[in-house]
Amino acid sequence: MSQIQARFFTEDKRYVVDDVPFSIPAASEVQDLSNVINKLLEAKNASHSKVDFDFLVRGQFLRTSLSTHMATEGISTVWPAIVLKLVWIYCIKILTGSYDKTARIWSTEGKPAMTVAGHTDVVKDVAWVKREGLTSLLLTASLDQTVLLWEWNSERNKVKARHCCRGHAGSVDTISVDPTGTKFCSGSWDKMLKIWSAVPTDEQDEIEEPADRPRKKQKTQQLGLTRTPLMTLSGHSEAVSSVLWCDSEEVCSASWDHTIRIWDVDTGGMKTTLTGSKVFNCISYSPLCRRLASGSTDRHIRLWDPRTKDGSLVLLSLTSHTGWVTAVKWAPSHAHQLVSGSLDNLVKLWDTRSCKAPLYDLAAHEDKVFCVDWTESGLMLSGGADNKLYTYRYSAQQAEA
Amino acid sequence: MKKAGGKTALKRSKEGDEEQNQIFNFNRKPADEDKDDDLSDSEDSVYSGLEDSGSDSEEEEGSDEEEGSDDDDDKMKEKKEGEVSEEKKKDEYEHDSSDEEDIRNTVGNIPMEWYKDFPHIGYNLDGKKIYKPIRNKDELDDFLDKMENPEYWRTVHDKQTGSDIVLSDDQVELVNRLQRGQFGDVNFNEYEPMVEFFSSDVMIHPVTNRPADKRSFIPSLTEKEKVSKLVHAIKMGWIKPRRVEDDGRGRYYNLWASEDSSILARHKMHLPAPKIPLPGHHESYNPPPEYLFTDEERALWEQQDPADRKLPFVPRKYSSLRQVPAFSQFIHERFERCLDLYLCPRQRKMRVNVNPEDLIPQLPKPKDLQPFPTTRSLVYRGHSGLVRSISVSPSGQWLASGSDDGSVRFWEVCSSRCMKTVQVGGAVKSVAWNPNPSVCLLAVALDSVVLILSPSLADKQVILSSERLLSAQQEGEEPAEGNGSVVWSEAEGEELNQGLRLKIQHPKAVHQVVWHAKGDYLASVMPDNTSHLQVYIHQLSRRRSQNPFSRNKGLVQCVSFHPIRPYFFVATQRSIRIYNLVKQEMTKKLQTNSKWISSMAVHPGGDHVICGSYDCKLSWFDLDLSTKPYKMLRHHKKAVRGVAYHRLYPLFASASDDGSVIVCHGTVYNDLLQNPLIVPVKVLRGHVMTHDLGVLDVTFHPTQPWVFSSGADATICLFT
Repeated sequence: MSQIQARFFTEDKRYVVDDVPFSIPAASEVQDLSNVINKLLEAKNASHSKVDFDFLVRGQFLRTSLSTHMATEGISTVWPAIVLKLVWIYCIKILTGSYDKTARIWSTEGKPAMTVAGHTDVVKDVAWVKREGLTSLLLTASLDQTVLLWEWNSERNKVKARHCCRGHAGSVDTISVDPTGTKFCSGSWDKMLKIWSAVPTDEQDEIEEPADRPRKKQKTQQLGLTRTPLMTLSGHSEAVSSVLWCDSEEVCSASWDHTIRIWDVDTGGMKTTLTGSKVFNCISYSPLCRRLASGSTDRHIRLWDPRTKDGSLVLLSLTSHTGWVTAVKWAPSHAHQLVSGSLDNLVKLWDTRSCKAPLYDLAAHEDKVFCVDWTESGLMLSGGADNKLYTYRYSAQQAEA
Repeated sequence: MKKAGGKTALKRSKEGDEEQNQIFNFNRKPADEDKDDDLSDSEDSVYSGLEDSGSDSEEEEGSDEEEGSDDDDDKMKEKKEGEVSEEKKKDEYEHDSSDEEDIRNTVGNIPMEWYKDFPHIGYNLDGKKIYKPIRNKDELDDFLDKMENPEYWRTVHDKQTGSDIVLSDDQVELVNRLQRGQFGDVNFNEYEPMVEFFSSDVMIHPVTNRPADKRSFIPSLTEKEKVSKLVHAIKMGWIKPRRVEDDGRGRYYNLWASEDSSILARHKMHLPAPKIPLPGHHESYNPPPEYLFTDEERALWEQQDPADRKLPFVPRKYSSLRQVPAFSQFIHERFERCLDLYLCPRQRKMRVNVNPEDLIPQLPKPKDLQPFPTTRSLVYRGHSGLVRSISVSPSGQWLASGSDDGSVRFWEVCSSRCMKTVQVGGAVKSVAWNPNPSVCLLAVALDSVVLILSPSLADKQVILSSERLLSAQQEGEEPAEGNGSVVWSEAEGEELNQGLRLKIQHPKAVHQVVWHAKGDYLASVMPDNTSHLQVYIHQLSRRRSQNPFSRNKGLVQCVSFHPIRPYFFVATQRSIRIYNLVKQEMTKKLQTNSKWISSMAVHPGGDHVICGSYDCKLSWFDLDLSTKPYKMLRHHKKAVRGVAYHRLYPLFASASDDGSVIVCHGTVYNDLLQNPLIVPVKVLRGHVMTHDLGVLDVTFHPTQPWVFSSGADATICLFT
């Protein structure tokens, strides 16, 4: 089989080629196919500049030559499609928390807009709650066992601590805001998950103070109004490393006790337990493909189906990292893409349709990567132990710092 | 024939008369038979007569004529006498056959002697008498007739008619043919070619051309009827299948059954006699020159004891076989051979072929013993001197390390970030985190001081409670210790901000600190060969110190508390002593068989101890089993510096100067009968060799199967 009949489709109007079958050498690889498309486009449009394309064959990325791909996938005829490539540019502010006990707000151009200082210890996690006009609410979780709810006025560029959420007995490692923006969940080293209200109010919740606690000491530490948890979910036997909301009633948490647990927020009960074999560092849920992605200390990213009842079904393993996977995040607008960061200084962009190798290795960091995220517009972010925050555009060619 | 016999007899009679009678007797019997034949069968008698005369005439015509005549006379007389006597005995009806009736004479087939005395010999068909021919022929006539009548030889006397018949040529021919055993008919061919009607060849024309019967190709109805009857009978059980005879019993018997089995066994166990080796070139009378002894060899041979000699003789060369003398040792050699045959052991040795692989106990594969640390995940960098000691907080969140650069650092385990650095002003020998989870204290040993640090890296409650534990004694009476050599003092000023709380001043340099599992007692080691003050046990809550031993035997290397019971382990240079702290007595002494113990760890269950030594060995003691090591592991190439047990997982690790950490799986069973299962699972390398030192300390994470190691290269590694 030296020649293959192939048809090319794309959803991008700029790169549409005629819908007729082309005869293509079976040994041709991605680059050859890309050249073919470029030639065709040039013939149609003289001003066309060369673009590198990727090809999906029946929903699978083409990585090898056509013939070997067809042999491995057991396909007899191929209709590759050009993957549409978009360039996202959108403006949003980025929030980071850091080991210097502060959180910072950045613009996407990389300029620090604001420093949020108030924690007495390392800021472990941050989250946006919501934006209403010029003011926005944000959360910072810290090693000093508190979560602070801040109000940021972007016009005056002022932050004000509204609430101090106390209740954890260990460092608060992770927070997550529910989709409605009214509640958030925090996970801590003390093995507890706590659910708090994210709505700023002017009343202070009642706390039972330990009788012997020196009152004046507490006063000095107070920053914002104290808030107590709405609900405490206990069940993990080790530190909670990551929490997220699957939907407005479900919280999913990953822990060092090798489990991912899904909780019902209404009842406060545990619904499902997914058991792994290694410590989970991070999880991410994509409402688009309804999959959980977990990063663990054994260097693999695993995809789970949280709806399974038996709770131990790994759908896929993505293996390319050589260190602990410290962060994974699904793309907000793409059902197949996720980004992962690892202790091996690499950020990798994955496509679940090509699970053998990542789409891109983003080797910008010089030290351990601790967090990755996507902006709503599709910009990728990563922060690491080298004190740098990188943003990546997933553009046609490569990522830019 | 009888004539010939007679003639020979005659010839003999000339030689001697005394034999004559015998000869006649001898001849008589055949003569009688002849006569008898004559009577019964005419043809036979004719024939014999013919033969006689024929042979006479041909062979002995001339020479024996006169003698023969005489002879004949005698013979005739003999014949007559014999006839009379013999005839009577004969059965007269023997030859009675009516179909051979001669119709010329109607008397029938009777012995013609009956008509001897009558003139006739019978009656013809008309009833008229047949008269005997006038027989005036006497012997002489007969003889003359024989002599003169050329037809005599074919003349036959017919007794029935009493006439002589001359046979025609055809008849003579017929007689001759019959005599030769041939068919009477000349024209009959007895060797006619055979016509094969039924041969293997398929002929064009069939022998028979009848079409096959219809019944030959349609199933027979009668047979079907019979078969169906049989089938019905079998179904109904009227016909039983033929019983198969049991051949195993009864019909055959074992011929050798009664034989003594030992005899058979001996046959089976036959051992051939040892064979004499075949003669080689040495034995040759004309061996190649290299087989001949040189002078030295010969001298050696003569010096050697006869039993040690390689050859029992000296090879010699002769130009020819003729010159070879007799072998002087022949008798001796035969004797030796006989002794060999007689004395050689004739017993079969049952050699057990054991595969050495099978003797190795079946250890599970390391793959099946997951989880255990496999790869280096994190490196904690920041120290500038070699890191002597590390300790993980009971929660597993923090790691404390003490280094020769005079600092104690606190690291966050999961991110390898140094959270805190405390300058203590001296090379830190040992750090130990208080195992009690409700307090957060670290004991640091440097120079001759033990420091108690409160790193304030925990919940506020925990920090408060640990502060309270330290300050509890303050309100009470001041230094209560009667032991003047140990001084407790509070930290002040800047040190307080760094987290220093207490200083315990020792008289000598402290090498190790270790906590009791409850977190109140603290033991410190000051190795010194000359003094009995080597170990102190401090009580934190009451700020008291005491020296539990009045006398120490040997240099104390390290000490450890039993995790559950009030036992105290003291490792000296070569042995480990176990003391009961309540009874204040030594309960056990473990012999390590190593030269210099470096480190020791007690299993969380408390029944097992591992001990590393500077001579590269790691010994595992099962306290219930013996005071000798249950197992010695020699996997390290250089001195073992540190050993550690995991609190939850069945793992233990050893750190060595060769820069490697070896993680072993060590399952301990509750069942006392089952020995611990020890499998080395992983060699972890991550440290750079510095000043010939590799890994100095090793410790496990309290909850995860992770191991930390600190090295001389100023780094700490986390293997997961």
